[in-house]
Amino acid sequence: MSKGFASSHRMTFIAVLALCVFGSLEYRLYSLHVLKRNHYLSYVEHVRHEIIPTYSRRGDIRDINGALLATSMSVVEVGVDPSVLRDKEESKWPQLAELLGMPFEELKTILTTKYREASVTGVKNPQGLVFHLESNQPKVEKEQTEITQDMPGVTLPKIENPTVQADNDDSTVMDEADNTGKRLIRYARLSKGIDQARYAEIEKLKIHGVYGTNVYRRAYPHNELASHLIGYLNHQEVPLTGIEHYANFFLRGQDGWVETEKDGKQRELAQFRTREVPAADGYSVDLSIDSAIQHLAEAELQEIRDKYSPQKATIIISDPRTGFILAMANYPTFNLNEYNKLPASELSKMRNVAVSDLYEPGSVFKIIAASAALDDGLVNPNTTFDCTLKEIEYKGKIKPLPAEDKSDHFDHPLTVSEIIAHSSNKGAVQLAMKLGEQRFYDYMHSFGIGLPTGFPVGNEPDARTFRIFVPPPKYWDGLTFTRIPMGQSVAATALQMHQAMGVIASGGVLLKPQIIKRIRDSNGDIVCRFDRVEERRVIKASTAKTMARMLLGVTSGSDSTGFRAAIPGYEVGGKTGTTQKLVPMQMASGKSKLVYSKTHHVSSFVGFFPATDPQVEISVIVDDADARTPGKIGYGGLVAAPSFKHLGEQLIPYMAIRAPSVLGAAGRSMVVTQGGNP
Amino acid sequence: MKTLQNRAFVNPFVMGTMLVVCGSGAIGLGSVWMRHQISVAANENKVIENHIVEVGRLNQQVTAWVAEEQDITALLKKNNEWHLGLVPPQEGQVQIIAQNSVARLTAKRDQGILTDRGINSAAPKPITFSIPVQR
Repeated sequence: MSKGFASSHRMTFIAVLALCVFGSLEYRLYSLHVLKRNHYLSYVEHVRHEIIPTYSRRGDIRDINGALLATSMSVVEVGVDPSVLRDKEESKWPQLAELLGMPFEELKTILTTKYREASVTGVKNPQGLVFHLESNQPKVEKEQTEITQDMPGVTLPKIENPTVQADNDDSTVMDEADNTGKRLIRYARLSKGIDQARYAEIEKLKIHGVYGTNVYRRAYPHNELASHLIGYLNHQEVPLTGIEHYANFFLRGQDGWVETEKDGKQRELAQFRTREVPAADGYSVDLSIDSAIQHLAEAELQEIRDKYSPQKATIIISDPRTGFILAMANYPTFNLNEYNKLPASELSKMRNVAVSDLYEPGSVFKIIAASAALDDGLVNPNTTFDCTLKEIEYKGKIKPLPAEDKSDHFDHPLTVSEIIAHSSNKGAVQLAMKLGEQRFYDYMHSFGIGLPTGFPVGNEPDARTFRIFVPPPKYWDGLTFTRIPMGQSVAATALQMHQAMGVIASGGVLLKPQIIKRIRDSNGDIVCRFDRVEERRVIKASTAKTMARMLLGVTSGSDSTGFRAAIPGYEVGGKTGTTQKLVPMQMASGKSKLVYSKTHHVSSFVGFFPATDPQVEISVIVDDADARTPGKIGYGGLVAAPSFKHLGEQLIPYMAIRAPSVLGAAGRSMVVTQGGNP
Repeated sequence: MKTLQNRAFVNPFVMGTMLVVCGSGAIGLGSVWMRHQISVAANENKVIENHIVEVGRLNQQVTAWVAEEQDITALLKKNNEWHLGLVPPQEGQVQIIAQNSVARLTAKRDQGILTDRGINSAAPKPITFSIPVQR
């Protein structure tokens, strides 16, 4: 009889063996999962766990027709870890240099520099290679409240900083210093951004240690076009000026992240993704600017520059029915793609002259005295004033009246219309005296003089600065009231004077100058739309109409000051301005004093057309064009008015502007023909 | 042959153990295969995602290039370089008409369809060919 396999010894042996095996396994499991749990968990967390940031794309800035003015372009930032380069691949370096567009010697220096002295500053954690929670925080509630509280006339926090911030070049990443005080370089940037196709060529070289990171770089396809309005981002992608800065809340996106694990070769194990927060791309901002009109304005400034070599000049074009800016051009200007190449001495080129610079508006200012006197019913267009007086009695005191221009010798009392048409200084002062200081000052304020326009870009002076340059009547001396009505002893920005003229063009309402038309999300859907914003009614509609008719006189007739602005077939309303500049003069005592110059002027023309149904308003302001002007005095009618006409003639076909006097009916079309009737 | 009663369970136990081991192994292999498939699918998703992102990036790049090419200064430069002679319309070329321009131009074009001559009498007459026919 067999006892079979399972003898008692064998059974015992197997049982003991099984017990030992399972016991040891059990102990190992207990050790791994209980005793050393925290140690191994932290190790796994450290080695395998990974948070991969996903970068959002900054929104675009477009013009009214959808043309891109600023966009984020995907490029590859190429870097190298010099410590892992292989000697046998050195033969590929010349090709790499060629693809990077970098001199070979320069590349060789970067690739062969393995260490750097500890004293050299560098970043231990590369920006963009690690996850920064702070850049992904949701937009703070305070900021959201500030932005949304008064939509659609959105008021964003205004922290315009026109100064160029130094771009820290975080181009190297180093390890901790070793015993000798040297740091091993683990990352050196080879290129800030090359296109994908070129990077594909670099990848084909298969140089160990050279790798690329996809990043977004801001690009401005139109270079100088509307540069003062668009603004720019520095190398750290921080918006500094313009719409880039003002509308950053909308433009910037929200970065996302993925929590995942990686294997021993640092490859992501996609199946272990535990949390995924997608990046939200930034919104796009549509401006009211029209690229074509902006180009016309900038081309006109180039002509002014070539002809007169002024110190600076500005052109503003807007729709007087809505207050939206169609173009705002400044000279000098700069290229947005090369803003960092401007030398320190030329940083003033970045100033938005139209918004930030104050000037004495000169005769354009006379529209305020005339409008106010008409609106208060103190005069009518046919009321006459003696404009030959040298002095006038005002409130029991004799006040000297300002001199007229040398060419003007009025042989008869001038009507209010003639005061405007001939730009009489004495007449303007007498109109203001009809109102009195306080009433005239109130009207000035109503027209927007002395108050910020709230224009979002361009670093407009604040209310405090305006109070200094436009003080209330209690601070006026004996002469001030006889100078302000003609545009002296008062300061305004080009945009303020444009806005003031807009009151007449819009039918008596002060409209807020705006530049943002729409906000779109990343799908192109409109999130927010901006409409015309009426600040206040300044004068009656009938007064505005009367003033528009009177301003026609400035451009009609060969003896009027602005006849060069006249556009045949169209009724042009506007006003010329010629302001003597204040220049420092050395006195006998050695001190310098500001005096009105006879050789340096600011020439301006601010107008609109068609006068009876204004569809476009244009301001042309040229600073110091005297040197190359015939007669060496840069009169507004001589320097600025022709530019107004030239621009107007180009805008008529582009904007399909119809003269009401030519065609009364609405809804008519224009076509361009090669001759013959369409 | 007769085995002892108290050891008779051993063979079925060994068999059972083997079955359990094989069964567990099969389940283990199945789960490993399933996890592998999950990782394959996840990686495929990742590749597709990356590809979509890549295409999106290329699209943005091309859009930016197109915008650069459409810059008015660049277009004017090309106009000069290629001697195209394109100029903006002058005021004199613009005719103001009192109706919808599209409808008018369409009507003008269609006017010639049913007649031998269009509205412009100076338009070239149709060329006719006489073809001899052999009978």
